[in-house]
Amino acid sequence: MTDDSSAPLLSHVFVPVATEKDARETAVALAPYDPERVTVVHVVEKGGGVPDKTPVEQSESIAATAFEAFRERFPDAETETVYRRNVVQGIVDAAAETGASAIAFQPREGGRLKQFLSGDRTLRLVTDADRPVITLPGRTE
Amino acid sequence: MSGDEELAKDLGPLAALTIGVGTMIGAGIFVLPGEAISRAGSFAIVSFVLGGGIALFTALSASELGTAMPRSGGAYFYVNEALGPLFGSIAGWANWLGLAFASAFYMVGFGEYVVGIAGLPDGFMIAGFTVPWIKFIGLLAATLFVLVNYIGAKETGRLQNVIVVILVLILTVFTVYGATRAAPANVPGSKGLTPMLETTGLIFVSYLGFVQITSVAEEIKEPGKNLPRAIIGSVVIVAIIYALVLVVMSAAVEPGFIQAQSEADNIAVVEVARLLMGPIGAGAMLFGGLLATASSANASIMASSRINFAMGRDRIVTPDLNEIHPRFGTPYRSIALTGSFILLFIVAAPINTLASIGSFLHLVIYGLLNIALVVMREADAIDYEPSFTVPLYPFTPIVGGLLSFALIYYIEPLPRLVGGFIVLFAAVWYLGYARTRTEKQGLLSEYVLSREEEMPDAAVDAAESVQPTGDNQYRVMVPLANPAHEKELITLASAIAKQRDGVVDAIHVITVPDQTSLSYAADHIERVEEDHRSVLEKAERDAETFGVEVDTHTIISHRGIEEVFDAAKDHDADLTVMGWGPSSGSRVEGAVDELTSDLPCDFLVLKDRGFDPERVLIPTAGGPDSVLSVEIGKLLQQEFGSELTLLHVADGEQEGREFLETWADEQGVDAELRVETGDAEAAIETAATDATLVILGASERGVLSRVLTGSLVPDVVANVDCSVLMSERKRDRGVLERVRGLLGR
Repeated sequence: MTDDSSAPLLSHVFVPVATEKDARETAVALAPYDPERVTVVHVVEKGGGVPDKTPVEQSESIAATAFEAFRERFPDAETETVYRRNVVQGIVDAAAETGASAIAFQPREGGRLKQFLSGDRTLRLVTDADRPVITLPGRTE
Repeated sequence: MSGDEELAKDLGPLAALTIGVGTMIGAGIFVLPGEAISRAGSFAIVSFVLGGGIALFTALSASELGTAMPRSGGAYFYVNEALGPLFGSIAGWANWLGLAFASAFYMVGFGEYVVGIAGLPDGFMIAGFTVPWIKFIGLLAATLFVLVNYIGAKETGRLQNVIVVILVLILTVFTVYGATRAAPANVPGSKGLTPMLETTGLIFVSYLGFVQITSVAEEIKEPGKNLPRAIIGSVVIVAIIYALVLVVMSAAVEPGFIQAQSEADNIAVVEVARLLMGPIGAGAMLFGGLLATASSANASIMASSRINFAMGRDRIVTPDLNEIHPRFGTPYRSIALTGSFILLFIVAAPINTLASIGSFLHLVIYGLLNIALVVMREADAIDYEPSFTVPLYPFTPIVGGLLSFALIYYIEPLPRLVGGFIVLFAAVWYLGYARTRTEKQGLLSEYVLSREEEMPDAAVDAAESVQPTGDNQYRVMVPLANPAHEKELITLASAIAKQRDGVVDAIHVITVPDQTSLSYAADHIERVEEDHRSVLEKAERDAETFGVEVDTHTIISHRGIEEVFDAAKDHDADLTVMGWGPSSGSRVEGAVDELTSDLPCDFLVLKDRGFDPERVLIPTAGGPDSVLSVEIGKLLQQEFGSELTLLHVADGEQEGREFLETWADEQGVDAELRVETGDAEAAIETAATDATLVILGASERGVLSRVLTGSLVPDVVANVDCSVLMSERKRDRGVLERVRGLLGR
């Protein structure tokens, strides 16, 4: 797969999801736009030299349930699990590897404090990405 | 997949070693030496060395088990695998609470250091109570570290590595400097063997860290090589540091100095450093103490959430405890609960008691760990292939186990009592809670039970009497199609599950026609999506009002009722409760023949006209389906206090009553008995006018299959006004029938 900037924006959408709920809501938000091809990705946040927040086994089962939830609506979606200390960088690199036409995600709301504590990933994803980033509306949370 | 797993492993040998050293070099060496020397004199050195020796035996065993089973949960996991869930429960609780007690101890130690630095008085007054500063700061600090773990700042982990290096440096300088001043004449006399052993029990809390390495075994690169190195290396390193620090503290200052400092409530290590190196020494020690206690507590809180995860995975505790925070990505419930334990313990007990209980609980785990190793080897498990093996087997694990248990004897009475109570609690917890939920049997009881003939009866009986029953848990499956009947079906299913200590599987079956392609199906699902999620969510809520555990699943399928039968088999359902109505959409063409006789489990089919179990009518002519009807009636009676009426329609009043009385007696049911003569259907319909619910047993095999496929609509169901519950019991096919099936007849 090579990058082709003339490809339609929705020809291969790369969708990062975190949890089961997130995956389901993102899939609902993405469905109306009817993308041609979808790859759903879950980044396991690694400690990078220190123990992770959650056991690997648990992280992988979270990824699996998120994929399953996503596939309720996109049964043909390809899946990918990435292990990275920096979640946003993991998304950007994996999107480049698969040659996706765009990254689509649903920003997570939450107060300023929570944004601050967990790092504002929305902002970092939008600024760090080397391809179009689509933010999906309709977060109900 | 193996490529992925390699990516998941990112802890190098040094990082693994740091986890062990960082957890161990905590309050143990910064808080306890003064107390140890006061109690045991020069033998305090022996206490620390002996503690290290005992830890080393167990470290060897932990290394072997860790390389054989690099799974999350560490010590708990090995004990559970080898000795079964009873001991697994004990090891899990002991490890979890042991870490909480140790963390409380570290935090009080942290408080001592802060008070030492700030020069605070003993306490302050609030509303007539004297609040000791040490504990107050301990509580604040514990809250802080729990919060840090709750939010899951990765940076603390990195900091941990730096802290460990600083600590080792500080202690090295202290030792080297102290050694130049050491004089054998200063060494205080020993106070004998018993105080030395008691001191070992107290300071053993300084050797708790190495097992935590096994709890992150699945993240370690090349675990076969790095895991044993990290475990054994960390024990050896800290034991040497401890011994040297103790030598310096005994030999570099005059006899009686330590005793005097302890009595003056000063921190002995700091005062020795002050004497040897002046204010800089004291300052470095104070700083080191802060870092050490903080890093130990931080690492212990993290480790305890791993143990919770493994316990939840095996259903020793509820898996809900391991829920991940949607934003922070941390197991926040587990951390919050562990945190509350820590705060409680800080308030409840003095520092030495906290240390001793922490030691006690870990000694229990270490003892069990050594036994687990022996069982693993002796039972000759097929997939047990450790890449590291303990030297001098079986000598090493046996000695390690004996020493661990023996040291418990020397722990002070009160901590021993508390620790013993926790072990007892864990055993009762298994029998009362976990036994019906967990499924793992453990190698030991498998081994014993598979050799029933050769084993002594007592061993077989014991193994049988504590076997888990989780895989026999009663499962009620509820396929949900029409949201309008969700509440009634879930209420009924939950009531039955509750009475049988079972669980509910709520399943949403979305049927799409054969001709529909997958992509069209996806669109179709989209249209029902809103209903779809809300049905399962409502099901969860409704079941929770009964306090019944509920699992939800979605099945997208081309097939209708067949899929329900398959799902019942897949989920090992004991009972399926489903709705039925001409409009419920369960009517399918074809495939009726295959379904006619074999139900995968007991079935209840509700023709829902509102669920009200107040007055239940059960018509009976005997037979297994009527027995099922009465069983359900009895469960409803227990749950809702239903009035039951058994109705038997006979040719003659007298014989009918005789039959019904005998039958009701056999069923052990408390119900009103009603006998009618004449046309059965008419009699049932008349009797049903007084009832709120009729439970109707199938009159012959296959009735429900035909009802579900729409090829049969019983008149009674159509003609009465209240809800009707049709029941049919699963029949095991007889040999003859199975042969007939094979011959295609």
